[in-house]
Amino acid sequence: MGIRISLAALCGSLIAIAPPLQAETPAELDALARATATPTAGIALARRQVAAGDMLDALATLERVILNNPQSNEARLLHAAVMCRLDDRQGAMVELDQVRGRQIADAAWAEANEACSDGRER
Amino acid sequence: MGNSRFLNARAGIVALLLTGLAAGGISHHVSAAAPAVVGIAAAIVNDVRIKSTAARQFAKAAVRQRVALADQVQTGGASKLQLLLLDRSKFTVGANARLTIDRFVYNPNGSAMSATVAKGALRFMSGRAGGGADRSITSPSATIGVRGTLLDVVVGGEAVAIARGEREVRDVDQHDPATATLVVLRGPGPRRQGNDAPGEVDVAAGGETVTLDNPLEAAYVPYAGARPIPFTISSPGVARLNDMLLQPREILYDPDAPGQPTMPQPERDRPYYDYPPPGGFGGDGPRPSGGGYGPGNIPGLNVLPTAPNRPERPTRPGRETQPMPNPGQTSTPPSDNRPTGTINTPEPTPTPTPTSTPQPSPTPTYSPQPQQTPVPSRTQSPNDDVIVR
Repeated sequence: MGIRISLAALCGSLIAIAPPLQAETPAELDALARATATPTAGIALARRQVAAGDMLDALATLERVILNNPQSNEARLLHAAVMCRLDDRQGAMVELDQVRGRQIADAAWAEANEACSDGRER
Repeated sequence: MGNSRFLNARAGIVALLLTGLAAGGISHHVSAAAPAVVGIAAAIVNDVRIKSTAARQFAKAAVRQRVALADQVQTGGASKLQLLLLDRSKFTVGANARLTIDRFVYNPNGSAMSATVAKGALRFMSGRAGGGADRSITSPSATIGVRGTLLDVVVGGEAVAIARGEREVRDVDQHDPATATLVVLRGPGPRRQGNDAPGEVDVAAGGETVTLDNPLEAAYVPYAGARPIPFTISSPGVARLNDMLLQPREILYDPDAPGQPTMPQPERDRPYYDYPPPGGFGGDGPRPSGGGYGPGNIPGLNVLPTAPNRPERPTRPGRETQPMPNPGQTSTPPSDNRPTGTINTPEPTPTPTPTSTPQPSPTPTYSPQPQQTPVPSRTQSPNDDVIVR
């Protein structure tokens, strides 16, 4: 009984502390920064954020990748794709123009195409 | 039995601790001696410096360095920075910029943040704001109220340079390269995907407020005291914004070369939009022939729109000017009187004072006499929501 009550209190507390703002700690922000140490890792994180619907987080992740690795064409292409998903399609076109003709995997182009060719809900 | 008593006691203690955490939230109470950490420098390119309230000089910043309330953050030439704040707000900051987080309140009932950008270009990406958020960015000539959005802000000579290339604002005859402010809403727009709410921005200056609520809507304030001029930024203008924020080499504005900014040649081939023709870009203009955005085997990519992706916004009837204080006239701060701010405090924190007041540099184009700039009817009525007052 005691355990049940305590567990209920624990669950209640967990619900209570699930902050609507999803507070971060500096250590959690450190982890985000570390996750973009390499373009591969950063792009993977951005894809997970896109899949979760967190487009602004994905955009920021890709911008960290680009700042640290300005030659990462794939990050720039995916950045443009996320801009499309945020409905800034004209801005995305400018970015796509900037990576046109560069060596980027077809899969990444297809991803950008999917994001930008239909701005409506997926 | 003994085991279950032990578990019972342990679970109870954990619950108690968690309840305490829930009641207190993130209890970074801030004293004047130790300003609260509000975020970290998540990415640094080249020369980025931070000056805390206690320090006399700027010190070189490192990746993952803590950024506290009222710290002055400054980027050098060809330098970039990304700040991550505790509420997951993000700033990507271009070269030769100066930024201060003046206020940061963060609790389950809502969050509030205000920042001052004295010069340079930055992109703000809002974080997660349950229960509402009150966010604002102050420049030397405008106050920008932000509601869940992605926006670009440029202060200084680069704002003038971009404005001179835009058909809708290039005829403005007075600019102050020290205080001119350009604000561009980038999203999320009405056709967005994902969890982020549509963005909206109020640009208040010269006693008037302009609301931007579609991607690429922009407002330009040519000098402190001027009214914001709304327009839709062109693709060339967007390209210059992107260059300032994400290209490894910054674009330089040379006030001694009237009408034509000085821009270094980047490594890539210059697209058609990099240099404005005499008199400006003139909008989107014709695109180069044979345009396409990727390999030819990706169907549909070449049919992407090249013009603004939304219909022309109708003028809102009945929108009137709303008198507002001019932030450009009230931004003189004693640096030793800055707020220390509070995290997780429901009570409003003191309104911050900007940390720096750029001195207008004399230029042939600046007149201290404010002139009324033409403002289309897209202004704000007293009945509209306004975040920044």
